[in-house]
Amino acid sequence: MTDETSGPESGAKVPLDPLLLEILVCPVTRTALRYDAEAGELVSDAAGLAFEVRDGIPIMLPEEARVLDPG
Amino acid sequence: MSKAAIFDRRAVRLHRDRAASLVAHVAPILDAVAERLLDRLDDTTHRFARALDIGGRGVVAPRLAARGIETISCDLSAAMLVGAPGLRVAADEECLPFAAGSFDLVVASLSLHWVNDLPGTFAQIRHILRPDGLFLAALPVLPTAAPLREALIAAESDLSGGAAPRISPYPRLHDAAALMQRAGFALPVVDTDRLALAWRRPDSLLRDLRRAGETNALRLREQRPLDPGAFAAAFASLLGEDATMPLDLHLAMLTGWAPAPGQPKPLAPGAFDTPLGAALGDTTE
Repeated sequence: MTDETSGPESGAKVPLDPLLLEILVCPVTRTALRYDAEAGELVSDAAGLAFEVRDGIPIMLPEEARVLDPG
Repeated sequence: MSKAAIFDRRAVRLHRDRAASLVAHVAPILDAVAERLLDRLDDTTHRFARALDIGGRGVVAPRLAARGIETISCDLSAAMLVGAPGLRVAADEECLPFAAGSFDLVVASLSLHWVNDLPGTFAQIRHILRPDGLFLAALPVLPTAAPLREALIAAESDLSGGAAPRISPYPRLHDAAALMQRAGFALPVVDTDRLALAWRRPDSLLRDLRRAGETNALRLREQRPLDPGAFAAAFASLLGEDATMPLDLHLAMLTGWAPAPGQPKPLAPGAFDTPLGAALGDTTE
């Protein structure tokens, strides 16, 4: 529990596997995604949604995605 | 997703989230189906490099990995993916987040029967397959659970004068075949299989359904809650001589290929110009 390098609550980001970045598209618009490694999100500019990458698992569910601020 | 949706996808996801830590208890059933489905890989000389496992609940991905196939697992529930070998993606089968031609094999073992738009999902699967990629699916079809459905309706009507849908409206076998055709798969093959299952007690059946994430996700389910008495009565009415209630899983095993040049194709009508007699070496004309 005190291990700071692992666990979902530690804040340590498990990087996204490059293969996933290659094959994943936005589930809503089927367009390319931009990986924001800092935020740990896959961003669909076309849909205005950011999909969280949780422990290396992209959560590609539109209803779970963060809605981007317009502009 | 649409107003005609019959399944509550949020409920499907919730059921799978809750089942994630318990699904190992029902792994033997899931694994028996996966084994039979993946047997079809032995019927082809194709070698597959990259597979997508849709909703395999921990039994499909290890079998694919054991065949040396790089496997990506997806599930509507991220919790259900914990422990899966290889790469994992939480994804909705109704809007798959993969680019065209990403895989040369897609496997859906017992995972597409809570999907509202099956034609749409099949078309998407074809889209994410490379040309000459293979789609394998095990889909429960009627008469799965048909006796239980009838017994439940009768028991609920007896007790309360009405009944609500409790059991998924499984497609028929020929619906499954038509879906493959409609989605444009080449060389589609649909065959049947049956897994004989039986339960001794109504509560253990409900428990196993919960462990598999297979409890009722019909949108109309909330109109009236299931009366445990009606369920017990329906269960009891179906008990066999061995004091168990049979609940066989009738499966459509679907195989189809993403179209590609060079695949065997049926000849067009009128393409035959050799008389049968000539082909048989008949010289009596």
